[in-house]
Amino acid sequence: MSPLTTTVRDTGTGPVLLVAGELDYSTAAELRRVVTGIDLGPGRLLVLDLGGLDFCDSSGITALIVARNHATAARADIALVSVPGPVLRILRVTGLDQVFRLEPGAGTRNRAVGD
Amino acid sequence: MCPIGPGPDRPEGEEATSTDAAFTALLEDSAEELYESAPCGYLSTLMDGTIAKINTTLLTWLGRSRDEVVGRMRFMDLLTAGGRIYHDTHFAPLLNMQGSISGIALDLRTADGGRLPALVSSVTKTDSGGRPLLIRTTVFDAGARRSYEQELLRERRVAEEARRQVEEDRARLQEALAVLQSSLLPAALPPVPGMEAASHYHTTSPDRLGGDFYDLFPLDGTRWAFFLGDVCGKGPQAAAVTSLTRYTLRAAALHDPDPVAALTTLNTVLHERYAMGDPRYCTTVFGVLEPVGDKVKVELASGGHPPALVLRQDGRADYLPTPGGLLVGILPTAPFTSARTVLAAGDTLLLYTDGLTEARIGEKRELFGDEALRDFAKGLPHTGAQQVVTALTGLLNSFGDGLDDDTALLALGVPTNRPHPANGTPT
Repeated sequence: MSPLTTTVRDTGTGPVLLVAGELDYSTAAELRRVVTGIDLGPGRLLVLDLGGLDFCDSSGITALIVARNHATAARADIALVSVPGPVLRILRVTGLDQVFRLEPGAGTRNRAVGD
Repeated sequence: MCPIGPGPDRPEGEEATSTDAAFTALLEDSAEELYESAPCGYLSTLMDGTIAKINTTLLTWLGRSRDEVVGRMRFMDLLTAGGRIYHDTHFAPLLNMQGSISGIALDLRTADGGRLPALVSSVTKTDSGGRPLLIRTTVFDAGARRSYEQELLRERRVAEEARRQVEEDRARLQEALAVLQSSLLPAALPPVPGMEAASHYHTTSPDRLGGDFYDLFPLDGTRWAFFLGDVCGKGPQAAAVTSLTRYTLRAAALHDPDPVAALTTLNTVLHERYAMGDPRYCTTVFGVLEPVGDKVKVELASGGHPPALVLRQDGRADYLPTPGGLLVGILPTAPFTSARTVLAAGDTLLLYTDGLTEARIGEKRELFGDEALRDFAKGLPHTGAQQVVTALTGLLNSFGDGLDDDTALLALGVPTNRPHPANGTPT
């Protein structure tokens, strides 16, 4: 079991949130708290880098929707990058691949993305 | 021993140390004084209980004078009614048998009607021939100790009452949960003419309301509607969404049974209700059955739900894809995709929630997955909806703790030998 870790970094286009570990019922609230605490302005892009995500269940999907709602409320955009295969599969089944901008990402967890 | 304080006639003016003074006081303390003002009660009675001698301490406690007691009252007359019964049935017989008895709790009655809890010890004095002459009794004030014991008893009663209340509350909660849960799922599937329907609900925790749901109900004289889905989360909040979802879909279907229209109505309702704050949504497949001749036409739509699996009579098993259908309730308007198929004799439509396909199997806890489900279905004898559900129930049970989510199954099949149920005529 790996706990959830989140790291926020600012780039020229907006904040990048690195999400690593397991995103489930016990950790989703933490991601929701972190993501809704991120300050966003109109036209900014919130990037969630999921490259380090080992596990994501429906609570995690809810947290991603919370992130999207947070960005939408601020008239900002949101993109998911480096989405792991299993998470991508869930996003396709639930139709969320049409709702989130998905980007292949940088290939490594630590490189800046979204710019 | 009863400690004795300095006597009233303590000598004054001596040049003794304080220890010497105390010793002197002790030595000059007469036996009579020691008896009368001891910090415990003394009394001596004849063998019939008549009080022959009693000390001042006990008289003070009882609020009586020596004259009204000595030679006039018996020891049992000093006891409360309860104390007397205990004295007659236990205290006196034991004393008679053993010649002494120690530390017995008895309640004495004071002159003003009050109760004096006491610890009583008695010894029988005999003559040289061993014949009993009199009984010597000491009485200790047990008021403080008794109230401590009563406090313990009271607290125990309070604790027992609290525990009883908790158990009663728990029973009431479980009853409420059971009633609520039963309002989320049909008690039994209604018979559909020319079809066989079967369902199963696997719950991972009986105490928590699940978020999976399904239903099957008549639309009109010729058509039937069904749905199966999964609400995000668990517990009362999820159950509230499940309830709203179920009754919205039922009402929407009666208004317009088109599957995309029904899901669109549900999307509007859920989004309006849960747009603010905590997102609540569901995935669901909604469909309509229309028996035509020996076959059944199926039209269904999916909102973010895993695709239905169609098991054919010849052993094929294929998903009925509904790509692009979105989770219901997260956006004000959502795309839903519909699909059609026809079920012939021996075909079964299987709907399931992702507890089944997301189960973790084997030592590596690998995802069971869509492919494995299809392969499992291909290996089944295609003999009917109930057998498909029974086989899948066995599969779910074989997952053990690899199955960590609730799972609902709904199978709708056309039997090879079409039954003619007595109550099969739709109304």
